[in-house]
Amino acid sequence: MLWLHLHFPHLLLDHIRHSGESVAALVIVEGSGQTVMQACQTARNLGVKVGMRLKTAISLVPDLGIVRADQPQEARILEDQACWLYRYAAHIVLVPPDGLLAEIGSLQRMYGGLPAVWRTIEEVLHERQLTAWVGIGHTPLAARLIARNGLGECSSDTGRILQILGKMPLLAAEFDGRTCTRLQRLGLTTLGEVFNLPPTEMARRLSPETLAYIQKIQGARPDPQASWQPPHYFRQQADFIQDIEHSQGLLFPLRRMLAELEKDLCWRQQDTDCLLLALQHRHGEPTHLRIRTSGPEHRAEAFLNLISLRLEQQPFQAPVTSLRLTVKRFLEQEVPGGQDLLGESQDLNEAWHTLMSRLQARLGDTALTQLSPKPDHRPERAWRTSEVRPPSRATTASADQLPRRPLWLLQGPQPLTETPKAWFTGPERISGGWWDGQRVQRDYYIAQLSNGQLAWVFRDMREGWFIHGWFG
Amino acid sequence: MSELLNTLMKDARVWQGHRHNKTTQAAEPTGYQALDNQLGGLGWPRGALSECLLDALGIGELTLLMPLMQKLSQAGKTVFWLNPPHTPYAPALAREGIKLDQVIMVHTEDKGDILWTLENCLRSPVTGLVIAWPGKLAAREIRRLQLAAEAGSNVCVLFRERHYAEQNSPAALRLDLVPDDQQGLKVNVVKRRGSWPGQRCSLAMTHRAGLLHHESPRVVQGPWPVAAR
Repeated sequence: MLWLHLHFPHLLLDHIRHSGESVAALVIVEGSGQTVMQACQTARNLGVKVGMRLKTAISLVPDLGIVRADQPQEARILEDQACWLYRYAAHIVLVPPDGLLAEIGSLQRMYGGLPAVWRTIEEVLHERQLTAWVGIGHTPLAARLIARNGLGECSSDTGRILQILGKMPLLAAEFDGRTCTRLQRLGLTTLGEVFNLPPTEMARRLSPETLAYIQKIQGARPDPQASWQPPHYFRQQADFIQDIEHSQGLLFPLRRMLAELEKDLCWRQQDTDCLLLALQHRHGEPTHLRIRTSGPEHRAEAFLNLISLRLEQQPFQAPVTSLRLTVKRFLEQEVPGGQDLLGESQDLNEAWHTLMSRLQARLGDTALTQLSPKPDHRPERAWRTSEVRPPSRATTASADQLPRRPLWLLQGPQPLTETPKAWFTGPERISGGWWDGQRVQRDYYIAQLSNGQLAWVFRDMREGWFIHGWFG
Repeated sequence: MSELLNTLMKDARVWQGHRHNKTTQAAEPTGYQALDNQLGGLGWPRGALSECLLDALGIGELTLLMPLMQKLSQAGKTVFWLNPPHTPYAPALAREGIKLDQVIMVHTEDKGDILWTLENCLRSPVTGLVIAWPGKLAAREIRRLQLAAEAGSNVCVLFRERHYAEQNSPAALRLDLVPDDQQGLKVNVVKRRGSWPGQRCSLAMTHRAGLLHHESPRVVQGPWPVAAR
């Protein structure tokens, strides 16, 4: 087995840089906010060093962008990295807080040799603008030590790997402090010298744990790793150093996240019709937006249009500090059918979905309705509204049996205030509703009013005359 | 000819009747032969606005559109109703042979949203017919809609009140609708692009209530007191 370890020396920094706006200098400070943990290139050029007091750093660079390290956030970002790595390697292990381990021995044939695997990983890292140190080892721990010390070489030869490890100073080998001191007092300076000690003596003089650690590095003792499984949802988050006040400011990070989503959906060979956006504010409850498309969709451009429409309609309640995009609903990708070879016929189905999604995004989900008849004798209950659905190909049954009815129905019956100038057909008695308490007993007539309107009027049981519809 | 006339003739802003070419514009037949004849044998213009001006509902204004709506919905085109003043009654529409899953009702209060929706519906290739009750519109806004209509090739009918007939409008067709004495509809062409206005015709609309005008009323028995009639 061959392992590849990716060590991200400043993952949080890369993540923040990714999220959008460019701040001159950026540092990550530890939880208590006292010392600098990570500093970007610009900050380092200005003299900020890792481990420096924050006050010193601020006096060096007054307009320093400061982000506090946050453990759950780091874990989440690391998992995001595993998500993309999963497209290239199947067996992945998370090594918190800043490492990923992938089994690549089985990938060599697929990619065509170790150099090709190495190149692929390097290219992806470059494309994603991530800083990572790559290390290859015959055991997980060997790969980790090599990566963390930046000694990675594209070689699968165990002898060469052990040689690199052998030259490594003891301090870099990540023993706990006590063991390290004891080894140094024994006069050992490199890991190679520790490797040469007889195992039984080492276990007796130092500790069995130290021996196990050494053997795990060397590969003499098994070191099983639990493999990571990708989640069944898509999640991306952008965190901003400066609060974003206008929806325009969100478009840049959104574009990147949606491109990521498009890639992910293509890779899953699935579509989605529902995006969840959560906008975090510094104070107060986060704003949740639900973006619906009327049909399965995967293109980033289509999502971006819908989201920007929605953001125009709904201004921010407060400045936004971070943005999270989640997709939990995945649908089968629709295969476009019935197209001619040259693609000359327009895809009306897609145009229909685009139009409906646009209208719903701007007007709200309830603004669009469709009507259909419902079997009931009472006119006000003989129809219903429903959500918009794509038109079916099936032809509806012939509607000749339906009784003659006006094209306009009033929201509720209105009192008839004048005597009609002419009466036509009638009466048609409609009596029903005794079964659900909405009793209706009416005699309907068709009558013409003095201004020419043709009305559907009725007299109900209690001797009142009402207009219920117009023959439009 | 006087010099003044000659200069006027050269002025591009002066429209000269004899230079007028008969334009062939895309149109959908109305389904009423008498009305088609008045509209140059064409019908509702496609890719342009039409206005129907009327004061009271229930005079046959929807029945005027039923043949077109039936044809388009059967052909798989979507029909939009924007802000209808009352509920379009689904059983009656189904009886007219309209495919209801092609009919979409849109309700919105905001003026900007109304225009935006109309524009989007008009530009889309899926739309066949848009009928709208837009309320008060400025000439500039109608112009905007007319441009959107030209971008697509749909029929768009706006229902407006009759007093707007005095305002000019960029719509390609303007019809003035009044009821006649026999439950029919008198149509007066206020404006038609590429032709003279003023044609009139009267359409029998008695079929909308299942009446035949030569028949005597079929009221079986009046349940009302004689004095109230």
